[in-house]
Amino acid sequence: MRRRMRGLVVTAVALTSALSLASCARDTGTQNNGAGNTGNKTGCTLAPKPPAASTTASSSAQDEQVDGSKLKVGLAYDIGGRGDASFNDAAAAGLDMAISKLGVSKDNTKELTASPQESEDAKQTRLRQLASEGYSPIITVGFAYSDALKAVAPQFPDTKFAIVDATVDGAPNVTPLIFAEEQGSFLAGVAAAYKSKSCHIGFVGGVETPLIKKFEAGYIQGAKAAAPDIKIESKYLTPAGDNSGFQDPPKGNVVAKGEIDAGADVLYHASGASGKGVFEAAKTANALAIGVDSDQYNQATVADFKDVIMTSMIKRVDVAVYDYVKAVAKGDVSTLPKVFDLKSDGVGYSTSGGKVDDIKDVLDGYKGQIVDGKITVKDTPGN
Amino acid sequence: MNVVRGKLLPPVLAIVFAALLCSIALLVSGGNPASALTAMVAQVGEGTTAVDIVNSASVYYLAGLAVAIGFQMNLFNIGVEGQYRVGAVVAAIVGGAISLPAGLHAAVIIVVAALAGAAYAAIPAILKVTRGVNEVIATIMLNAIAAGVVAFLISQDAFGVLRGNNIGTAEIAETGWVPGISFGSNGTVFGLVLLAAAVGVGYWVMMNRSRFGFELRASGESATAASAGGVNAKRMVLVAMLLSGAMAGLVTMPELLGRDHTYLITSPTGYGFTGIAVALLGRNHPGGVALGALLWAFLDKSALALDNVGVPKEIVTIMQGTIVLSVVVAYEIVRRLELAAEQRRVGRQNSGNGGAPGQPAGASAGGV
Amino acid sequence: MSSSAAPVAAGAGEAPPAVVLSGITKRFPGVVANSDVHLTVRHAEVHALCGENGAGKSTLMKILYGMQHPDEGTIEVNGAPVRFRSPTDAIRAGIGMVHQHFMLADNLTVLENVVLGAERLHGIGARARRRLVELAERTGMRVEPDALVERLGVADRQRVEILKVLYRGARIIILDEPTAVLVPQEVDELFDTLRGMREQGYTFLFISHKLDEVRAIADSVTVIRRGTTVGTADPKSVSSRQLAEMMVGSALPSPETRESTVTDQVVLRVEGLSLLAEDGSGRAVLDGIDLVVRSGEVLGIAGVEGNGQTELVETVMGMRHASSGRVWLTGRDGTTRELTNLTTLHRREAGIGYVPEDRHRHGLLLTQPLWLNRVLGHQTRPPVSRGQWLDLAGAKQDTRRIVEEFDVRTPGIDVAAAALSGGNQQKLVVGRELSADPALLIASHPTRGVDVGAQALIWDQIRAARAGGLAVLLISADLDELIGLSDTIKVMFRGRLVADADPASVTPEELGSAMTGATTDVPTGAHGGSTSDGPGTGSSTADSEVADSEGGERG
Repeated sequence: MRRRMRGLVVTAVALTSALSLASCARDTGTQNNGAGNTGNKTGCTLAPKPPAASTTASSSAQDEQVDGSKLKVGLAYDIGGRGDASFNDAAAAGLDMAISKLGVSKDNTKELTASPQESEDAKQTRLRQLASEGYSPIITVGFAYSDALKAVAPQFPDTKFAIVDATVDGAPNVTPLIFAEEQGSFLAGVAAAYKSKSCHIGFVGGVETPLIKKFEAGYIQGAKAAAPDIKIESKYLTPAGDNSGFQDPPKGNVVAKGEIDAGADVLYHASGASGKGVFEAAKTANALAIGVDSDQYNQATVADFKDVIMTSMIKRVDVAVYDYVKAVAKGDVSTLPKVFDLKSDGVGYSTSGGKVDDIKDVLDGYKGQIVDGKITVKDTPGN
Repeated sequence: MNVVRGKLLPPVLAIVFAALLCSIALLVSGGNPASALTAMVAQVGEGTTAVDIVNSASVYYLAGLAVAIGFQMNLFNIGVEGQYRVGAVVAAIVGGAISLPAGLHAAVIIVVAALAGAAYAAIPAILKVTRGVNEVIATIMLNAIAAGVVAFLISQDAFGVLRGNNIGTAEIAETGWVPGISFGSNGTVFGLVLLAAAVGVGYWVMMNRSRFGFELRASGESATAASAGGVNAKRMVLVAMLLSGAMAGLVTMPELLGRDHTYLITSPTGYGFTGIAVALLGRNHPGGVALGALLWAFLDKSALALDNVGVPKEIVTIMQGTIVLSVVVAYEIVRRLELAAEQRRVGRQNSGNGGAPGQPAGASAGGV
Repeated sequence: MSSSAAPVAAGAGEAPPAVVLSGITKRFPGVVANSDVHLTVRHAEVHALCGENGAGKSTLMKILYGMQHPDEGTIEVNGAPVRFRSPTDAIRAGIGMVHQHFMLADNLTVLENVVLGAERLHGIGARARRRLVELAERTGMRVEPDALVERLGVADRQRVEILKVLYRGARIIILDEPTAVLVPQEVDELFDTLRGMREQGYTFLFISHKLDEVRAIADSVTVIRRGTTVGTADPKSVSSRQLAEMMVGSALPSPETRESTVTDQVVLRVEGLSLLAEDGSGRAVLDGIDLVVRSGEVLGIAGVEGNGQTELVETVMGMRHASSGRVWLTGRDGTTRELTNLTTLHRREAGIGYVPEDRHRHGLLLTQPLWLNRVLGHQTRPPVSRGQWLDLAGAKQDTRRIVEEFDVRTPGIDVAAAALSGGNQQKLVVGRELSADPALLIASHPTRGVDVGAQALIWDQIRAARAGGLAVLLISADLDELIGLSDTIKVMFRGRLVADADPASVTPEELGSAMTGATTDVPTGAHGGSTSDGPGTGSSTADSEVADSEGGERG
């Protein structure tokens, strides 16, 4: 049964490539390296390339010496905690960086993790526990903490809180660490458009939440900006409220296969651990995939599929956490970017594996336009 | 003494046994059971934990009673999970959409929740009564469907409102809130904890004093005897299922009207399954279910303290699982021992009454 | 092991008896299922064990097969005393059991089914196959080792079951109602096989209540009644009638009270009542039943079990829905109501009391206290109920009355019903059903499985209520009870009422032959055909304390 399905997929892929060969034959006369506006050797008719970027990436690498040894840093993770190979892990990496670079003592840190299906009061208790034990700053990972913070933060006005992926109104001691995922996803869309042979790409979202829709929106806008005629498949694994979509590789695999069968040959996933299934499907069908959140090419859990991961949309939760801890140590959080975006290098793309080296100038060109405000990336899909 | 032995001994034994198992698990993984237990008990006095336990217990209690109604007649309503979520969402949507005077607003929301839960439970009930569909399978399927229904209802296409990166139903106006009992910095007990208590009392009265409760228990004890006694099995299935669903609809009311005022995509799931465990712990008895709910809530809330002593709080999940298993086994063992003891007692009494039953009569009636 | 492979030459002569059970007594809490049972099975014979349903046959066989342990008594196999802790021990001693309900895995082949669980004997390969084929040839049971069991007919499955026990080395084989599932030709084939195997030295214990078959195949027959063995007879010299007498105990004194209390007030009228079988075959299990029961009358229904009596009762009670026909009841207040479309509860409220044939399944809530059992069936009526709410005080008080009046031996009304003995449970049920002053009492086997003391009391109470104008529809397999209590007897056969009898003059023998469908007209006068008591009936049941067989089903 399974074998027969795989056979079908192979046939479908063979058909697709036959079609693209045909289009290839038609395009051979105007073969170029994408420098012109007529299209690459197979695939899409591309929009004019943006002018090369002038801005060099700003970097947080220029570290002045900040002493964080007095800080007691608390971290409240979302479900999964340290080791989830996703954004909890990224936050943990930020903390580790703070320990090694800012001199934060490991004994002065505390990491707590949410249980699946816990209710609001458990989150509040967790935060109160950290606050009353004197931890400050306390970084909460995930928008699920926003209501809890709204309740707890006013009770501890001297404690500094931060929340990843959300803003909390009316609580001055809560620093939002939010990201312009749509901007990074825009570049992923551009890359996908350039790399697609069939001019047909796909998006696999984990759970249909507003957050993941930002990924989708940017991706679609980027792809269309690069290739106006491109066809885009877009699917979510589970509806909002059912978080299993972030932890279901088999489902990711099936949905990805479906998109590949429909003709897509580059897939971008924003589905947490389910992404493994997306990579697997891409590898089986000889398609390409784009990772998310961290540089998944170098991620151990998906190492088997690294050769199909052409790039990853990087969301630097680690940088945000590190920068925040550093800002607290300096005593001034106002220097932090309002939104961690392309400009602040809060989001970006990875080049590990070298698969996008040939279009790096294009990507950086678009990046420049976004940074300069010439392109505004929408954060909700649809027209 | 009999009551103590029959009703209280099994759960106590089960808890001790479960604690032993968890201690072993802790020792094997290098933890210290004593410090873990101390931390958990001490946590009750910390901050809002005690209040949180009571609040959560009220939610678990309602879920437990919803399950228990079905269990009383061997009707396994696994669908409390789906029914409470549908009830909560529908109630939150209606509550957010209407404006009524204080008090009435909350009452309407509560009634809507019960009706929505009952309506969702009506599906498996009708399937079972008319088509003989097994309620376990039907309700499990409907749980999955409920997840989709809930997701749709709170999506922005339907009734959802974007709140940052979260989506939820429109916030219920303050007239629909139920004020709690504040303990200052120790938290606020939900006002609707009293609703849970009232439902518990009502449940007890229904089971022990009403004809319906009797028929329900009779059906559970022996469907054949009940039918010979004039109990209409189909009607019982229907009514029990609807009642169970209505109670399931109430499950999140303490939280919804006392704290959250909206139903979010991040709102907790799984209360229905907790309800099954709590009903098993409490042997479907309203008092037992209350103790079970408190125990469960204690384990849940105190687990947060385990991180402080370096013990993985997942150990509590192991403990909850072993408690349920051990309680079920312990009750069965004690039940059998009790019955045998009673039979012996009756036998002793009768032989003390002057000979085995029937012997004198047998001499006169049984000759050849 | 291979010890069983040594064939015993036909007519091995004076071998010790294959099985001797002596003084076997088995008590279940509150009841005695077997009481001082003696049974001797000679080597290489077919020994039949007969008795009514619930007489204690199955408990006895479970004891012999190691599934139950006797409280008293000894078992000898081939002359040596044995003590079985489990069926494994029994199998090791060469005893095998073929259950009435086959225990085969449908999706496995014959060979796999036979070998399953006995892999250590001959492996699972060619050796096992050779052994099976050899056994099949020697016994004349043709089976295809590789056929899937799901494709086999009933008779073939039974052969597989028999081969299964032979494969495990059984020389003494218990056959539990083996003919119940077979058609007559298959029965003949089975009997041929059994005879052939008997020649080879196999011993059979054949459980049945079909007397003709017993007489056709058995070398000797032991009758069991009320948990104890009544006697052993030679089937060649005993008539079916005599066997039937032994089984139902015709020698018991009948509870006669001949002064008639029958009035002309019709209480129950049933017209054209029919019921189709639930299996969808369209077969009628009740076929145009017409009957009338009058106030003060006991109408007895005689019949071999399974001829529709249970269905008749449950249809009148509204627990089954008649496919056609109508039922009327005249209540104590003199109003006549049609019951045909009423629920069981409404029928009860209209004035029917119901003593079900299986009090555990239909009469009692076993784990509930006695006073709560008083409520069952009366949950809408005083004194135990005020409509939608129960009256606990009333229920308890009325339960105390029943315990008192019906001599229910119990330490109190708070004990669970399961703690009582069968007789006391039945007294409670009868007391409850008579307590609401019903117009009609439907009593199905009201004294089955109860001790003689309880039996007498129940009879007395029914008679007293009848004198007070109660109409009684009585179903019983105990012909003496039927003849003794009834004012009128109707014989039921294959779902129809085929004959009437006058209890004043009919004998159990005449009734017995009418029950087999042999005659449609029972002679109502004195008939010379009545023979003396069958051999063995003399061994009395009276000295057994409690002869309750219900416990047998508790396992």
